[in-house]
Amino acid sequence: MLSDFGVILLFFIIGFIFVGVGLVAAAFIRPSHPNPIKNSTYECGEIPIGGPWIRFNIRFYVIALVFLLFDVEVVFLLPWALVFKQLGWFAFIEMIVFVVILVMGLAYVWGKGDIDWEKPKPYIPSIDDLVVGKKK
Amino acid sequence: MLGLDQFIAELNKSISMFLPETALVIAFLVALLLDLMFKKSKNLTGYTALIGFLVTGYFLFKQMNMQSTAFSNMFVIDQFGIFMKWVILLSSIGVVLISFFTNELYEKAKGVGEYFTLIIGMAFGMFLLVGSSNLIIIYLAIETMSLSSYVLAGYTKEVKRASEASLKYVIFGAVSSGIMIYGISILFGLTGSLNLFEINRFLAANPVNNFALFLSVIMILSGFGYKISAVPFHFWTPDVYEGAPVPITAYLSVASKAAGFAILLRFFKVTFLDSVPGNDSVWTLLGSIDWHFVIAILAVLSMTLGNLVALWQTNVKRILAYSSIAHAGYMLMAVSTMDDAGVASVLIYFFMYMVMNLGAFYVVALIANNIGSEEIDDYNGLGYRAPILGICMTLFLISLTGLPPTAGFIGKLYVFSAVVKAGYIWLAVVGVINSVISLFYYVKIFRNMYLNDVDSNKSKLTYSPASIVLLFVFAIPTLYLGIFFNDIVKWASYSANIFMGK
Amino acid sequence: MDLVGLAFYFLAALIVISAAIVVFSKNIMYSAFSLMFTFFGVAGLYVLLNADFLAVTQIMVYIGGILVLIIFGVMLTTRITGVDVKSNSLGKIQVGIAGLLSTIIAISLIVVFSSTKWFLSEPKVSGDSTKLIGNELLTNYLLAFEAASVLLLIAIIGAAFIARRK
Repeated sequence: MLSDFGVILLFFIIGFIFVGVGLVAAAFIRPSHPNPIKNSTYECGEIPIGGPWIRFNIRFYVIALVFLLFDVEVVFLLPWALVFKQLGWFAFIEMIVFVVILVMGLAYVWGKGDIDWEKPKPYIPSIDDLVVGKKK
Repeated sequence: MLGLDQFIAELNKSISMFLPETALVIAFLVALLLDLMFKKSKNLTGYTALIGFLVTGYFLFKQMNMQSTAFSNMFVIDQFGIFMKWVILLSSIGVVLISFFTNELYEKAKGVGEYFTLIIGMAFGMFLLVGSSNLIIIYLAIETMSLSSYVLAGYTKEVKRASEASLKYVIFGAVSSGIMIYGISILFGLTGSLNLFEINRFLAANPVNNFALFLSVIMILSGFGYKISAVPFHFWTPDVYEGAPVPITAYLSVASKAAGFAILLRFFKVTFLDSVPGNDSVWTLLGSIDWHFVIAILAVLSMTLGNLVALWQTNVKRILAYSSIAHAGYMLMAVSTMDDAGVASVLIYFFMYMVMNLGAFYVVALIANNIGSEEIDDYNGLGYRAPILGICMTLFLISLTGLPPTAGFIGKLYVFSAVVKAGYIWLAVVGVINSVISLFYYVKIFRNMYLNDVDSNKSKLTYSPASIVLLFVFAIPTLYLGIFFNDIVKWASYSANIFMGK
Repeated sequence: MDLVGLAFYFLAALIVISAAIVVFSKNIMYSAFSLMFTFFGVAGLYVLLNADFLAVTQIMVYIGGILVLIIFGVMLTTRITGVDVKSNSLGKIQVGIAGLLSTIIAISLIVVFSSTKWFLSEPKVSGDSTKLIGNELLTNYLLAFEAASVLLLIAIIGAAFIARRK
């Protein structure tokens, strides 16, 4: 078993060497003439405004929470799938119970509208907005 | 491994013994679905919860004299567990009924659908905890009840202090359950098993490193201690009790504590009982660690700190929070005797404590409905503005102090006599001194209600007839059990025997 | 030192160093990312212990789930850089007590781990540990398995309820 993971380790090592050698070689070969324009984030694009660390919308968080819980469910499904054939129908029923209970969770977040993606409603200006002095 | 057919036969037997818990899970799922389907109806999940609890009670009643293990020794059904389950079930019903009369819930939260659903979930967690005989199940059950109670404590999201309570509860809870599972892993490493019966057998046959064993059990105790809010694991109690909705505070102080005590007793007896001497009613413990003393220290700390700090509080919910820490101390005193008389006295105490504590919190909820406050200064003259509430509150406070002729007196009487009988005179003395101290702060509430602001011409409090009926449901037993307590005592002594496996 | 020993010390170093970065970095985003290496190192330790299922679980749940959640959590805060870990609200006495307690606990744990005679089970058939886990989960640990589903359901309800904006 360990040797299987040894192969994975080997891949990791090769990957690191591959990238590392490439970067080091490039550092030796490439010409280096830094100037302010070249160092800006988008050399021939928009000038960025503000910091790159922006606040995320909370809806990502709710989705991630729900994802995490079903992720854990998948972890339980994996060993079940391996022994399912050997244990037969009662293992199947056990898993049905497990999944049904968890599907209730999906039904809950769905029914309560937690996974609805609230799109920001863009404001489309109408001709009335342009009329000066008219109340909306 | 067993043969598959044999296993399935055993599984059927296990399921038939797991019916009360199954009923709770089904009630939980049904409540969840009904909440999704009928969004408009106000108390539908509440009624579902009540029906679910009644069905659970029916199955529990049918189990009355059963003694067995289920699910490959993971779960135990015995009289001790059934008694505790009754306490939990009755207090769950009480809490659901109290919730119906708590305006705060309906005004400050968007719907009560999840509220009752999670109460059922929490009840399931506690049932599981009471019967578990495997460290994995203990951990899962504690997490199940904790997760529900975290949400319930912060259910009124619009109230700032409720969110604060919830957050504090989560942080302390996460730390204590983290420490607990660390302790479990050390205990597993020492004994090679998660099953309490097998750990017991291993400890009886092999000596283990005392220090490692001590450390692991102390770490596991931090998980139990957190649930029963014993000092030094009590830090969350005052803030959570103050911030949470009143019914949830009552629930945490009664049911959650009952489950914690149940598993504490079961853990100590099943893990450390030396079954060689034969006489189980006075436990002989394995190993050379003086567990009596460890628990006695916790008891003294809880009683003293709870009572002394309660003296300075100005919020009735906080006073009751510290008083519940102190009550945990009294019960720990009985646990520290580690014999069946001690167990019986804990059971008696819990039954009494359930009635009077739910009652006291219910009065707090009814008063808060009217005056919107739990500050002790706002209780001035309430004895005249609301005579029935005043009288009942006085009764509950007398009972909490432990004076005759109330239920609380009987509870304390049995606890103290168990402690004295086991030979811990010093502990009983500390307990009595503490009871006297506790009189001061209970009297403070009473004084504000009757002696301050006597001729206030503020309006009378209003409450519905139904809410008064519920009040009597708590008040009458508090008085009745103080006089006719024989049945409870008999039942508790019968239930004191914790099942030791086959 | 054989190859497994070498791998162990490499992973241990990875865990300790990245965990130190988690604690001491002033940018909580770096802390969150550094946590990834900690989790990864722990997964590596599981592999060395022949617990391949646990290793995969570690990567799936901790790196794929919890870490993502933590990073989202970090991104929800207003201040990401320049968060001082040394809180000013703590007095010297509190820090002293906490430090003392932590030291005592650390020392006792070290003493326990170095002096205890642990229970050693005979090595079972190495190899398909996932299959063994599946068997145990569906037979002896069935109650834990089903209780876990209720626990997860309550967690979903609770999390969605708390995170809901309204």
